Parts: sequence; C-alpha cells; structure tokens
Amino acid sequence: MRKVLAATVAIMAVAAAVYGLNDADALREHFPERDGVQQSAPKLMAMGRVRGPDGQPVDYPGVDVYSGATGSTTEAPLQLSQADTAAPLTQAPAQAPAQSRTASENAAPAAGQAPNRPQVDESALRYFAARNDQARLQAEISRLRALYPDWTPPNDPLAVPQNGDPQLESMWRLYADGRFAELRKAIADRRVADAAWQPPADLLERLDVAEARARLVNASDLKQYQTVVDIGAQTPALLTCAEVDVLWRIAEAFAETDREVRAKDAYGYVLKSCTNPQERLATVQKASAVLDYAGMQDLLSSEHRNEDGSGEFDSLRDDLSRRFMAEANEDPKMRIADAYITRVEKLAEDGSLASDALLVGWYRLRREDTGAAEKWFRMAREREDSASASQGLALCLIAKKAPQEAEDVMYRWRDDSTDAKDTYMAATANLLAVMPPPVLPEPVLQRIAVEVIEAKDAASAQQFGWYARNFNQPQTAARWFETALSWKPDDEPSAYGLVLSRNQLNDRAGVAAVQSQWQGRSVRIANLGETTEQTLAAQRIAQGSADQQGAQLPAQQYAGQPAVNANAQQVIATQTAPILPAYAPAPVQQTSTAPVRRSAPVASASRGARTERGCTTTIDPEGLAPGAALSRGWCLMELNRPMEAAEAFGVALKRGSGQVREDAAYGQSLAYLRVGLTDNAAVSATQAPLARKRASELQVAILSNRATLAFDAGRYRDALLFLDQRAQLETERVDLMVMRGYAYLNMKRYADAMQVFEAASQSGNRDALRGLADVRAARNNDY
Amino acid sequence: MFLRPFLTCAAVFLFLCGGLPNPAHSAGVPAAEWEAYKAKFLDGSGRIIDNGNGNISHSEGQGYGLILAYLANDPSDFEQIWSFTRTELLLRDDGLAVWKWDPNAKPHVIDTNNASDGDLLIAYGLALGGAAWNRADYTAAARNIARSLLKSAVVDHAGRTVLLPGLEGFGADDRQDGPVINPSYWVYEALPIMNMLAPSDRWKKLADDGQVLLGAMRFGPRHLPVDWVSIARQPKPAEGFAPEYGYNAIRIPLYLARFGVTDRALLTWLAKATTASADATGIFDVTTGEVKETLSDPGYRLVNDLVACMVDGTKLPDAVRRFDPVLYYPSTLQLLGLAFIAEKHPECL
Repeated sequence: MRKVLAATVAIMAVAAAVYGLNDADALREHFPERDGVQQSAPKLMAMGRVRGPDGQPVDYPGVDVYSGATGSTTEAPLQLSQADTAAPLTQAPAQAPAQSRTASENAAPAAGQAPNRPQVDESALRYFAARNDQARLQAEISRLRALYPDWTPPNDPLAVPQNGDPQLESMWRLYADGRFAELRKAIADRRVADAAWQPPADLLERLDVAEARARLVNASDLKQYQTVVDIGAQTPALLTCAEVDVLWRIAEAFAETDREVRAKDAYGYVLKSCTNPQERLATVQKASAVLDYAGMQDLLSSEHRNEDGSGEFDSLRDDLSRRFMAEANEDPKMRIADAYITRVEKLAEDGSLASDALLVGWYRLRREDTGAAEKWFRMAREREDSASASQGLALCLIAKKAPQEAEDVMYRWRDDSTDAKDTYMAATANLLAVMPPPVLPEPVLQRIAVEVIEAKDAASAQQFGWYARNFNQPQTAARWFETALSWKPDDEPSAYGLVLSRNQLNDRAGVAAVQSQWQGRSVRIANLGETTEQTLAAQRIAQGSADQQGAQLPAQQYAGQPAVNANAQQVIATQTAPILPAYAPAPVQQTSTAPVRRSAPVASASRGARTERGCTTTIDPEGLAPGAALSRGWCLMELNRPMEAAEAFGVALKRGSGQVREDAAYGQSLAYLRVGLTDNAAVSATQAPLARKRASELQVAILSNRATLAFDAGRYRDALLFLDQRAQLETERVDLMVMRGYAYLNMKRYADAMQVFEAASQSGNRDALRGLADVRAARNNDY
Repeated sequence: MFLRPFLTCAAVFLFLCGGLPNPAHSAGVPAAEWEAYKAKFLDGSGRIIDNGNGNISHSEGQGYGLILAYLANDPSDFEQIWSFTRTELLLRDDGLAVWKWDPNAKPHVIDTNNASDGDLLIAYGLALGGAAWNRADYTAAARNIARSLLKSAVVDHAGRTVLLPGLEGFGADDRQDGPVINPSYWVYEALPIMNMLAPSDRWKKLADDGQVLLGAMRFGPRHLPVDWVSIARQPKPAEGFAPEYGYNAIRIPLYLARFGVTDRALLTWLAKATTASADATGIFDVTTGEVKETLSDPGYRLVNDLVACMVDGTKLPDAVRRFDPVLYYPSTLQLLGLAFIAEKHPECL
C-alpha cells in the first residue's frame, strides 16, 4: 500500500514537473486523448459552440445541428493534445487585449445571457461577399451559426449595414484583404490614440486564427512539422471542416514525424465530420500516400454510399488497389483483401500497363507462388521489358529449375542494380549447379565467367569448379576453386574441391599445401587419401551437403526456393562436354603455399591410382553386369561424379542380388546425398535390406543433410528436430554442434546456444569460439 | 499553473525596467528619424527590407526593426514588424527563426537554417517591447527563443563558450576547421537579457569569452579580425570565406560600446585600424592589409566617430548626425549609434 502511494505521488510529481500541473483536474485536462472525445471536446473548442443553452457541454458526435444550405457541418474540431506538442502550451495571451482572448466564451450565449440576443457582428460577411470570396463567406456563416444558434444569415450579405465606425470598417477591410500586419498596426494605433477603445473580440480572434493559419501553412511548406502540430494544438479553430487544407497539413505533419496513428485520426476526422465530396476524395488520396494498408481500411470504412449504391470512393479503387498491392509486395507476410488482388489482376489483363502485371507478378512471387508469378512477369516483359520484370521472371525460372533461361533473361539487366546483379549471379550459380550438369554453349559460359570474375562472386566460382569436375576437367576445376578461395579464403567447400582436383591431378604437393592450410579446420580435407569406408562416407556426405549449400544460398535470398534441381536423371554420357572458359581468373594468393601450375598437362594424362579402375571414360552403365556397375559406381564416387555414380548403382540395384544389391542401395543413397537429393537418398536406402551399421550411417547422413537444409532455409526449429533425431543414432559432431548453436542463437535461445558453443569449443573448434562471441554480441544488442 | 510564468515575467520586467532606457523618457530614436527609416525600409507587411541586398528580409533585420521600434516608442510599428517576423520567419521546429526571406523566390524561404544573431536580436527586441508595454506574449516569445539558443547555438569548445552562427554547417562536426564563429554575432547587450529570460551562467561566460576571443583575432599586417573565424585551434580566418574585415565585422565596436565596454585599448584598436581615410572607414583584406572598399555612408562612419568621442571626447561631425537613410544596413547602425549617444553620451553631440 505504501509503495503504491509512493508511486502515485511520484507520477504526479513527474507530471507536475513536465507540464506544470499540480492537481488531478489539470492532469485529466491534459491527457484527454485516451478518454474519448466527448469528455475533451468542449474544452478544446475555442470557436465552436462551447456550451449548450443549459450551460452543459454539447455532445457533438453525429449531431449535425447546424447543417445549412451550404451543406457544411458544424462539428467539434479535431482533437490535438498536449502529447502532440513539443512544448507545453504556455504561450501567454497578449496582454493589451487580454479580455478578448476568451472571446468565444464571452460571445457564446451562456445560460444567464440566453434571453438577451447577442449582437452579431456581420461585418466580415460583407467583406467576403464584396470580394466574392465564397469559401470564406461560407466559413464565416457556419462559424457565426455555431457561435449564435439563433442567428440567421442575411439574405444579401452585401446589404449588411456599415456599423458607423469607419475606422473599424477599414480594419475589417484589412482583414478581408489578408493584410494582417497592417491590421495589427491599425488596432495598436487606435488603442494608443484612444485608450478606452476595445477592438471587437470577434475581429481579434479572426486575426489570431488567420495569422496562425498563415504561419502553419508556412511551417508546413518548410517541413517544420512540430511547429505545424504546435500551432494546430494552440488554434483549435483551424481544425474544422472549414479548414480542410489545414487538417491535411496537420495529418502530413503527424505522418512525417512518425505518428501514423495521429495522422490517421486527422484524415479520419475529415471523413467522419466533413461533407464536401471533393475534399473527401482528396483526403483519401492524400491518406493513401501516407497510411499503411490497415490504416486505410479503417478510413475507408467511413465511405458513404451514393444513391445508386456505388461507393463515393469508387473512382479511387483502382489506384488504391495498386497502392495496397505495392505495399504487400514489400512484405510477404502481409495479407490484403482478395478484392484488391482481383482488381489489379483484371487491370493487368484488360489494360496494357506493364506496371500492373508487375505488381501482380511480385505479389505472387513474394508469396512463393512462382508458377502464377511467371505468367505475369512474362506479360510485363512483353509489354515493356524492364529490370524488375526480368528479375521477377528470372527468380521464377530459378525456382522452377530453369536457370539457363533465367540467366538468359537476366543477362541484359545484370548491371541495372545490386539486386539485379545478385539475381543474375544466383541464376549462374544455380545453372552451374544443375545435376546432371547441362552442356552450356560456349558463349554463355564465357559471358558467365566474365561476370563471375568481375563480380568476384565466390559462390559462382565454386560452382564453376564443380561444373568442371563434373565434366572431368580437374585442371580447370582447380583454377576456379583457387579463384573462389582468393575471393573468399574461408570457403571450405572450395578448398575441398581444390584438394580433390589436385588429388585427381596427382599433385601431391598441392594436396599437402591445402591440407596444411586447412589443418584443424576441415576433417574431410585432412582425411583425403584415407580410405576407410567410414571416413569416405563421411567425406562423401559432407561434400554433398557442401555443394548443395553453395548453390542454394544465392537463390534463397530471393524466392526462398531451393535452387538445385531435384530430378537429375539425365545421362551425361549422351552429351558432349561443354567448352569451359579457356582462361581462368587470377590464381590464389594466400590460401595455397604450393606453386600454381598454369600449364599442367590435362587430367587424363595423370590419373591417380584410384582412377585406374577405368570410370573416366563416359559410357552408358545400362549394359554393365551388376558387379561391374557397382564398381563403376564407387569409382565415379571417387571422381566426385555422383550423378553418374547413382546411375551406375541404379543398374547394380536393378540387376544384382544379395550383397551387390545391398552395396548398390548403399552407394546410390550416398551418391544422392552428395548432390543434396536427400529424399532420393532416403528412397534408395530402402531399396535393399542394409546391414544395421550402414542403415544407421545412412540415416545419420540423411538427418545431417536435412538438418543442414532446414538450417540453411532458416527453419531452425526443424533443424533442431533433425539434429535431435540424429543425436539418438550417433554422438553429435562438432560442426553439427556449431550448427545447433547457431540455430539456438537465431531463435534467441541464448542460454542454450551458449551451452552448446561452450561444449563444442572445448575441442578448440574455431567456429564454436566464434559462436560464443556471436552469442555474447547478440545478447548485448538485445539488451 | 499559468501563474508561474506571469510571476517570472514580472521579475523580468522589474529588471528590464530598472536597467534599460525607458523609451518614454529617454531620447531613443526621434520620431522624424524613425519615420524616415520606416518610409524607406519598412514594408506594410511588416518586413524590414534590406535594399542593399536584393530587397530581401532576414531575421537580423526584423530584430533590428523591433529594437528600433521600441527605441522609437512605437508599439504599433513593433506589432506590425512582429506580425511578419512570427508568421513568416519564426517557423523552425526548434523555435528559432529561418534566416532569410526573399520576395522574388518561391517559396520565399529556401534555406531553413537560422542566423543566431538574428535570433538574439529578435529575442532582445521582444524582451524590450514586452517589458515596456507590458506584453506577456512578447516576453513569452522572447523566452522561447532564448531557451532554444541556449540549448543549441551556445556551445562549449575547448573551454570557451561560443555562439554558433547557425545551427547547421558551422560546428566542429560540420566542417574540418569548425567551429567557425562570427565575432559580430555577439550582440553583447542582449546577453544579460537572455540570462533573465533563460537563466544560465553560460550567457555571462559567452560574453566574457567573446571578448577574449575577439582580442585574439589580430590577423595580418593591420591586426584585424575577420568576419568568419575558425576556432578549431588558434583563431584564424575560416576556410571558404573571404579573409576580410567586412560588412559583418564593421559593427563590432558599436556592439561593444552599446554593451558599456570602456576599455580604451579595445575600443581604439578597431577604430584606428579601420580608418581608411579622414572621413571614411572601409572593408579590408586582412591578408594584405589593403582597403577593399571605402565606406563613406554616415552609418558606417559613425561607428568610428562614436569611439573617438568616447575615448577622446571628439564631438560627432555633423555629417554623421544627419539621418538621411539610403541603405538599410548603415542606416540601422546609424540609428542604433545615435540612440546610444543621445542616451549615454549627450556630450558628444
């Protein structure tokens, strides 16, 4: 209890310090916003009707008491509160005419004065009429109506009699002409000359408001938005339907100062209170440039129905739909009403604008509906080829495993933007990673090589390496891997590719160089050359997932689609080997201490021991005996030509029996794992009964792959699930522990991440140590 | 809650009324001279026109206009000038004035930067008018400006408290040789008033450090200050500005005198160094010490004549006593100088 009291006192003290408030009433007055309009409306009205005839505050919402011939509504002004203003509203009223500042209170018929009809000063009417200023004439009429409920406007404002005070007449003239500074001077002059003279409260108030309007407009034009809001808060008379332009400027000021909700309130005020159809339309148009989709839906709920049943904002529907669609294209999670989507689709189909088709295309693509998106991007490109349309189409094509067309579509636009370049590079990386590798025309390979080198794109360079290996060009492959490493020295898959290629080239010194470079950093590089089945399997699996990873990453950034093809049953044997770019980029500098061999003989001339089994010649395995097909499969696996190996194992599996069949199923499963076709691998593993050890090994590998895939796709929960399943079969490897750690980290489970990295780092693993640092950094950022 | 500001205002009034010339009783600016000034430089809209500068207006001119209207004891003109000042210039989110208004530009204001001397002059004029005519709204507006200046334009650098000429583009972070200051932006007489409006020891320190820094600005063969000075290290002419004792600096002795500085050496230093010929002062290239432009308008000449009278008792020549306004800037300096002499040194007349 004591604590509660103390807290309350403290809050009051803060409020008093900030706002100079010292009692509960004052507090309530200054925080009216949340308590609804009814309570606060009358307090902020300076020019509207403040009190009813009974002296009680008038409820305004929905009551259109004074709607006259002009159709304008008398309404409570938009509510701005203390919280909107930069400084407390302490602007002191002018001293000299002090009594006039509360003009509306004086002028409004209070309870006691009700029987006496107040004198209504109609001078302003005459001046506005004389100037034929209809807008201000009507505004003045509604203002006077609000002030004097019993008053009826004169039929002919021009006939309003002069009030017999020529000086005052000329003051009104100055006012009507907008010569406010001169009017200030005239009033002051007269007061100096005649100390007893009091300017009419009405005139002073009109002048204050007019100057405030001018100042607000100037501040708004100069983007001094806090000043705009402050003036609005000090001048409620400006926040009415007679001053829609001011209301727009207030709304803009809120929007530009990150107060979207208040901006919506201001636009919403116009739609709820004001009746001018053009102004209502313009309000929606202005709001749509500022408010988000949800805010706009709120506003649109104030739409009026026309007599024929149509909506008053129907003419804006097309543009609104486009605008919402564009917003939805920025945020894939956002959902907008189907009506808007259908409308833009129809606009795109019926019309001829490429931009409409683009909107739909991106909308579909962002929601991973690449099949639907493709149609719209093609439509857009037919109407007007553009970087955006081509990029969208390229992403669709990458997703549907047509990277060759993607590359072709994107090539022309590759330099249009960073995004365009990234998309192009993604297309090339995916194209080179296709399994089985397509034979690409030389000009295409050439231009891709040029781009890869120019962009120093390590991912595509690595893919060039694997591509070359797939066509058994280890010399070229080695160069590309070296190049990738020169751009990305810690690219382990490239280093692995390099060591494989050098091994194939029988370059023992080169192999040793890479191994020494990667000592303690990569098990599979270190173990190259050891031939126990288990290490081989581990290598094969690891390499498979590494390949997969490299190819996937670029594409994932865009469409969230795995990039490598899932259905690679074509036979390389039927194809002619492509002509890879003859030149290779600048060789490695720091990653290898071995001399770079620029003109080594081609690979076939220097076969290592393990290639003597004779699988380098490309043949159709279909005609082989099961045992031969099995041997060929293993041989191809060692050459890292897994798709051909899978083919060979497939022949052995189909024809063989017993041990051969079991070996073939095992081999094919490994082969698929290596190219990342985890599902195929799982199927293969069930093709024959496997020894428990092998079954478990495959299961472990499959789960590792799935965990990696899930992790790479950002599905950390799934990754953990796979890792947990895997951990039941085998103790978790350090690299997988690191992955687990990062999964936790990404899920912000810092304590878990810390624990795992700590355990993993005890082996001195660098990634684990880096993980520890990352957790600490993330924690600090979060706190 | 609204009582407190009024009480504070009352306190300010007492100070101001006790310590400042009461225009009702002192000579101030005579009506005829004010009429001549207005006829030439005050537009009906309430803006003071700088006719030597493409007929633009600026916060400095509006501030001078308010002060002169106060000195002429003309609350109506004051009201007129204030109307324009507030409506057209006092627009910045931080409560300071945008510095320049161009009748031929659309929009009239293009650069929203402030000029701190203009803000000082406006706040000072408002405080004077508020006290003289019992207008709490003027005083409140003056206080807003004083607070904002104190918060943003009065900055500390290397132990010195200085006035940034504008909030954008002059600070240590804004330019290599920043901060860059303008010694003629120290409207010394306004600083004690700012302290009443927004009390802080830093106003006094600003006044003290301003004079110390000014004393260290002795550049070139004539040992003259320049308009724009880098104080990143030892004061030196700022990069990108002409190294000249120019139209800005020319008013420094007038400001010092009006502030009540009686230090003979300080006053004579600038007067002597800037006498270009017998009856002319000038603009100087401080690098060479050469006269760049000879200025014979009585408004400019008055500055040095005023110092001569203060230190040697030399009476003002008739030529500088006659007010026949041609250009806004020297005419303004002349009225400010003459009002000061009429008030404090009638023996010079």
